[in-house]
Amino acid sequence: MTGPRLHPFTLLAIAGTLPALAWILPPPVGGAWTAAIALALAASRGLRPGLWPALLTAAPFWLFLLLLHDVPTTIAIGLRITTMVASFVWLVAALEPARLVEAMVAAGWSASVAYLLAATLSAVPVLKTRAQRIVEAQRCRGLSPRGGIAARLRALRALALPLILSALHEVDERALALETRGLVPGIRRTPLAPPPDPVLERAARWALLLACLAALVRRLLVPSPT
Amino acid sequence: MKSLTLDHASFWYPATASPALRDVSLEVAPGEVVALVGALGAGASTLLLVAGDLAPRVTGGRLEGAVARRDRSGIVLPTPWTQVSGMAFTVWDEVAFGPANLGWPAHEISRQVDRALERLELVPLASRDPATLSGGELQRVIIAAILAMDPGLVLFDEPAAELDAEGARTLWRLIRVLAKEGKGILLATSALDALPEVADRVVWLEQGAVRAVGTPDLLAEAAACDAGLGTSVATVWRDSELPEPAPLTIIDAVRRWR
Repeated sequence: MTGPRLHPFTLLAIAGTLPALAWILPPPVGGAWTAAIALALAASRGLRPGLWPALLTAAPFWLFLLLLHDVPTTIAIGLRITTMVASFVWLVAALEPARLVEAMVAAGWSASVAYLLAATLSAVPVLKTRAQRIVEAQRCRGLSPRGGIAARLRALRALALPLILSALHEVDERALALETRGLVPGIRRTPLAPPPDPVLERAARWALLLACLAALVRRLLVPSPT
Repeated sequence: MKSLTLDHASFWYPATASPALRDVSLEVAPGEVVALVGALGAGASTLLLVAGDLAPRVTGGRLEGAVARRDRSGIVLPTPWTQVSGMAFTVWDEVAFGPANLGWPAHEISRQVDRALERLELVPLASRDPATLSGGELQRVIIAAILAMDPGLVLFDEPAAELDAEGARTLWRLIRVLAKEGKGILLATSALDALPEVADRVVWLEQGAVRAVGTPDLLAEAAACDAGLGTSVATVWRDSELPEPAPLTIIDAVRRWR
């Protein structure tokens, strides 16, 4: 990665603030702004790792909302969901789990909790990689994921079952492996290379929190017409 | 005190009726290398998990009998890719993951990591991303990672499975060095030909129970060869119906031949 990197807590703060504001600010303008910012952030990670996954994940929600609600409600909720999805996609792409662990340990969190959070955030790319490996293995056995709907459903079944079973199996293996690497409760981990946390970033995080609180107070005192 | 003592230990995995270990009694002294041999499913991996205090504490299940350890143990699992933390940018960071979790001071972590990297000949890879390593390189990284935690008892489960011939030879030499430093070593392996040079004692496991214990000469006996647990030379010697006793190693065979 090139250029200056934001502290992991700052990344988390941004990814948390955008969805919060999307739900607090009056629709549809508030949601439009937050969705635009979140999509721009996702796009900043590149089209394939950032923007496309965000748009493709948000698209089905828009479809179901349209089936269930009128157009203004669909737009209002759809923009909020898009903000949530795009913020999460951006966070997963931008946040390096190892830096998060180091930052949390340096801030006094337990290494187990830090690892759990970091592992959760890195679960999506890990599962994606494993799914690709399973698809390749199934191709070697003559099962193509292309073709008509029936062929695709067959391929999906052949993908889903090993993916879920292997993920469940790995939970046990990981627990065992992490124990062997000394990750046990009750011992304070030594931070090896805690990421720098400049005053400006700390102030920015407080500003984001205050912005959310201010927006919430305003929303409660001045109810929106919708 | 022994590095490890198992006294009539039996172990059941969760939701199983028959034990994976049956009434196993075993001792490993400091500076001793004990090898576990047996067919697949004989219980060697389970014995290592019990010895490493992972079964039943982490795996679940039920343990009967007594297990005593003098020192902290470190275990090298047979699948290095599952033992990687996934939280390191470089090989150095990966090896330091365990010592850092133990809360050691930074200078001690640095000393242990550098020493472990040197021992496993990993210094040239220190700045590499662990995700880009081959299976054999990763195996060496995990062995270094466990040794960097300075365990008094080291448990190896098929440590040479991912290594090439030269890497395996380096590992066997290192195991002897570790034993000379006073560490107790318990080693489950199917690399039977290496054991005469590496192991002080061999424990033959069969269906979770100890069938025989002895020096590596055990691997030249008829029963072991018939069970597929003889060294290559001893097995070929016996298959050829050459005169007893069967040699254990190629050097023994050459000596006999002359």
